[in-house]
Amino acid sequence: MSTEMDDATPALVGEPSPGRDRALDVVGTLARLFLGVVLIWAGVSKIGHPLTAQRAVQAYELFPDGIANTIGLALPFLEIVLGVLLVLGLFTRPVAIISTLLMVAFIIGISQAWARGLTIDCGCFGGGGAIGAKDTKYPQEIARDASFALAGAWLWWRPRTLASLDRYLFGH
Amino acid sequence: MAKKTPTPPASARQAKIQAAQKSQGGGANKIVVATVVAVVAIIAVVVGVVWSQSQKEAASGTSTAVPAGASMGKGYPAFASVQAAAGVPTVDLYEDFQCPICGQFEAALGSTFQSLAQEGKLKLNYHVLNFLDDKTGAKNSTPAANGAFCAAADGKFQQFHNAVYASQVAEGTDVTDADLARWAGTAGITGNALTTWKKCVADDTYTKYVTSVNDAAFKIPSFGGTPTVIIDGKTIELNTISSPDALTKVIQNATK
Repeated sequence: MSTEMDDATPALVGEPSPGRDRALDVVGTLARLFLGVVLIWAGVSKIGHPLTAQRAVQAYELFPDGIANTIGLALPFLEIVLGVLLVLGLFTRPVAIISTLLMVAFIIGISQAWARGLTIDCGCFGGGGAIGAKDTKYPQEIARDASFALAGAWLWWRPRTLASLDRYLFGH
Repeated sequence: MAKKTPTPPASARQAKIQAAQKSQGGGANKIVVATVVAVVAIIAVVVGVVWSQSQKEAASGTSTAVPAGASMGKGYPAFASVQAAAGVPTVDLYEDFQCPICGQFEAALGSTFQSLAQEGKLKLNYHVLNFLDDKTGAKNSTPAANGAFCAAADGKFQQFHNAVYASQVAEGTDVTDADLARWAGTAGITGNALTTWKKCVADDTYTKYVTSVNDAAFKIPSFGGTPTVIIDGKTIELNTISSPDALTKVIQNATK
């Protein structure tokens, strides 16, 4: 792969740049660890609070209660699984794709709650449910989730990172 | 251009290196690893869901007992023996014994609600919730609520309720058997009634009922927490009943 690049693009990107590659690897590594830790934290903060987690999902008023309750129970564990895989750097791209889509889904969920005039806490890191109109933090919650989605999108585009199991097991 | 293509021997060497890299990659078969990871991930999520569900059920108990005059999901009618005057409003109070603001609310307005109910000027329903237990992780709201409904069996709900708010256990702290016994003492539960109350408390007799009331409360649109006051089906802004006089006035206005 790199030998093809050498022939095709030296004039465009200047020197074939191991330095640039290295820098991108570092950015990717930081994105991976950031998103991984965030997901683990989000999951752990919900575990042990099943009713609160279920009510947090119900409060979005998107799903019938039965489905919302299952999502409320399953989501924390899904987040932890994704987070652990990211921290390990195992199957970075597929995991990053799922995580990015999950964050986009959260952003859509929060946006529709905001647009419909619901007054809820996103329940992103535990808590959640209906709150006073003055206490809503929709722009901040969306911006925060967007930063997580951005980290995921980076890894989707370029999953190569340092100190990953992908590199150790599969050589890339 | 600048870098000249490697000489044939070097190229052969490179081929070997590549072959070695490939065989190293083959050492961990990607499909096998992916399958194992996917299966472990799915098992982790499923086991997590089942465990959370069982934890949730354990928290609510299995007894289907409901206090006198109430049913699953419905509030407890206080002062049931009082004959309310015609046209008086029904007041639904949503409280959690662990909620500090409920303590302040009760200190400010509790006696007004109760004396109006006693005089037959309103019908008072208590919806005793326990969502703060799940939120804080403490065993506080649920045992306190159960203790109150066990007291109701002896006609001492109101006394027990008032005793809890008069000496609330801090949010996030477990309610101990000693706390419960203290409230029962303040409520005036003694003798045989005390023995019955203790068994009721030990059996978590009303925890399922309390959880059902709690679930029902959160199905009310825009229900955000405690305390919540609903008069004839309409949620009241708390700042409109900021004093006993204001509350009395609101109740008068709601009387037909």
